[in-house]
Amino acid sequence: MVMQHGPGRPVPVVFTGTRRELAGLLLRGYALLLPTIGLYRFWLLTWKRRFYWSNTDIAGDNLEYTGNAMQLLVGFLIAVAVFLPLYAMVFYLSTQSNQAAIVGYGMIGVTLWFLAGYAIYRARDFRLSRTLWRGIRFDQTGNGWAYALRRFGWSLLLIATAGLAYPFMAASLWRYRYVHSWYGDLRFGFFGSWKQLALPFYLTYGAVLVVGGAGLGISMALGVSTDSLAEPRAYLPLVIAALLIGALALRYQARELSSMYSSVRLGGAVVTVTVSARALIWQYVLCGMALIAAFAVLAIGGLVVLGVLASEAFAGGGFDLEIFFRQMQGSLITLAAIIFGYLLMLGAFTLMTELFIGLGFWRLIATGASIAGIESLNVVRARGEDKALAGEGLADALNVGAY
Amino acid sequence: MTIVGRYYDGQSATVHTVALHYLAEYDSGTLLIGDAADGSEIARWAASDLYLVPGRRDEMRLAASGQPAGARVVVRGADTIARIRATLPVLGTKQRRETTRQRRLAVTATLALVAVIATYLYGVPLLASRIVGLVPPAWELRLGATVASQLQSSLGGLQICDPDPGSLANRALTRFGQAAMAESGSPFALDINIVRSDIPNAFALPGGQVFFLSALLDQAQSPDEFAGVLAHEIGHVAHRHGMEQLISSAGTGALIGFILGDMTGISVAAGLGSTIIDARFSRDAERQADAFAAQVAHRLEFDASGLVDLLNRVGEDDDFARALALLSTHPLTDDRKAALDRLGQDRPSGLEPPFTPAEWQAIKAMCGGALDQRGTPINVGATKTK
Ligand SMILES: [Zn+2]
Repeated sequence: MVMQHGPGRPVPVVFTGTRRELAGLLLRGYALLLPTIGLYRFWLLTWKRRFYWSNTDIAGDNLEYTGNAMQLLVGFLIAVAVFLPLYAMVFYLSTQSNQAAIVGYGMIGVTLWFLAGYAIYRARDFRLSRTLWRGIRFDQTGNGWAYALRRFGWSLLLIATAGLAYPFMAASLWRYRYVHSWYGDLRFGFFGSWKQLALPFYLTYGAVLVVGGAGLGISMALGVSTDSLAEPRAYLPLVIAALLIGALALRYQARELSSMYSSVRLGGAVVTVTVSARALIWQYVLCGMALIAAFAVLAIGGLVVLGVLASEAFAGGGFDLEIFFRQMQGSLITLAAIIFGYLLMLGAFTLMTELFIGLGFWRLIATGASIAGIESLNVVRARGEDKALAGEGLADALNVGAY
Repeated sequence: MTIVGRYYDGQSATVHTVALHYLAEYDSGTLLIGDAADGSEIARWAASDLYLVPGRRDEMRLAASGQPAGARVVVRGADTIARIRATLPVLGTKQRRETTRQRRLAVTATLALVAVIATYLYGVPLLASRIVGLVPPAWELRLGATVASQLQSSLGGLQICDPDPGSLANRALTRFGQAAMAESGSPFALDINIVRSDIPNAFALPGGQVFFLSALLDQAQSPDEFAGVLAHEIGHVAHRHGMEQLISSAGTGALIGFILGDMTGISVAAGLGSTIIDARFSRDAERQADAFAAQVAHRLEFDASGLVDLLNRVGEDDDFARALALLSTHPLTDDRKAALDRLGQDRPSGLEPPFTPAEWQAIKAMCGGALDQRGTPINVGATKTK
């Protein structure tokens, strides 16, 4: 029998995946997206999840993802059936007068926002019910529509209070998610409250207002003094303010993740998560640098291709727009180059965000976590089958599917 | 040497450290799962039931059919995994079979999508014209008014050259329009507007509005050319091409959203893609409008192929337009001219000309450009960079 850990001693969560392995997996998947006209994305997502799950090791046993691509494909088809009427509505509205169109778009936007809540909840259900640890399945009960309604109501309140209601909203939604989560026949508990979030949130809120106001003020003063809005120097304070606000938001996010995850209980097991704000911000900095490098490589490659396609336009050291257009005209190769270039850029962007932000978040939370009292879980027994076969199509279509 | 692994029974979260033994029989065998500490047997799985579950690179996860869904034997280490694979070749066979199954699924799904796209490409021009028949004319009229008001604001106001409907030129245009529409059975009343602009163009909006811009009129050297282009645009109205195109691009957007899996976002790719796909559809529409112009020329004395000459002259030195010809919606001019000549071959003789010389003179003069001032078009916005 395995019970090497002393009672109550916290065990760390270990993450064994490497960026290189994920990069190989993603690149292979992107390459297969082309011949399958995008349909391979369901298989790619499945592979990606297997990577994340199987490399997350809790007390010597790693997670297992049991979902498959077919389930995602079926879910997507269901989502298409939901979206076609909405799409027809959008089309009808686009032919109407401007006012009617704006009102209609607004209503559709609200509908989508509401549906997103449902989709997020169902997607979480899909992932949890396809996660095994020590041969026992996780699960989520509760009602997707109830969650959507709750989230929708809170967002209305959020708008009404200019964002000040956020800590209450966050704590309420975290609680709903976790008190409806299960490991086998054992229900999760959640002991977090808005009180843990209030102080960091309102401090961040104030700091964002100060930084944003200062950035706007200085930039306006510079713009006025140089008497020209095109002065690039006038935008510098705005850019700096935006970066600072981004860092503040990430700092808050690290705090929220740490305190909310640390409020999760599973029977006698107590989770403690410490996500370092500095490490989180660093992931974004890395991602930004990687994106700049990737786009620089693509730009150089693009120029070389253009030079080959329209070599005469570049002749004589200069660039002749007229010759350039003449050479471009009617060329199927050019069209292919435009489409391929666009796909390359899109691919570079998703690759970098996945490699740095996606993997960064997962790894920071996993390696920042430790679980005390895990031996109490030995008595957990399996629960009946889950019937959530519909996949997470809606989440897929609404673009809310994380991981 | 025994193989040590971890065993989950799929019913309780207890982990067992187990020693694995393989009991070979005639044509099958059994995996014996015993407690690593005291050797007592925990479970036995028939080798034919065993299959691999995807896991980490350095790890092998074994499951067996007939066992609880979560029951697993987990073994780590490359050497150990290689030994098990060698002992149980059935694992590799099943894994390959599963890979083949997934591959076949992906190929089938892709073929199905290709079929959908092909059906779409060939079906949409047909379908769009059917659907257009269902669109109430009042709706299309409203849409035309919306588009016209958007054009007004984007072009900085459309100034009609001669607002007096009773003028010689306008009466001639109205008469021409009525003659052109006579046999079309269109629910729309034609509204021909000659508008001041330095962009040489002419277009038809849904609902029956036709705009002929002064720069194009200034470049017309004969009534044939003018009447040809005008009849072509009236053809777009009669066939309700604006509405048809709108419906077809909406369908294209939906299809591309489906391919990209992004039903909500209106992405750049969708725009680009729909432009390319719609170009095919537009070419059919242009051919139909040309044929319409040729039909009108069977009732009035003019040569419809003049429209190609006028459009050619306008397009000649516009680099940007030629760059855009990449995604051009118009058929190749040579083919177009040949087709129009063919359609005009058995044109009856002794027809009435579309405009009297006095009327043609008046039309040319509508926007202030007299016949002798042909070389100097009026520049309203002076936006052309050439
Ligand atoms: Zn046309």
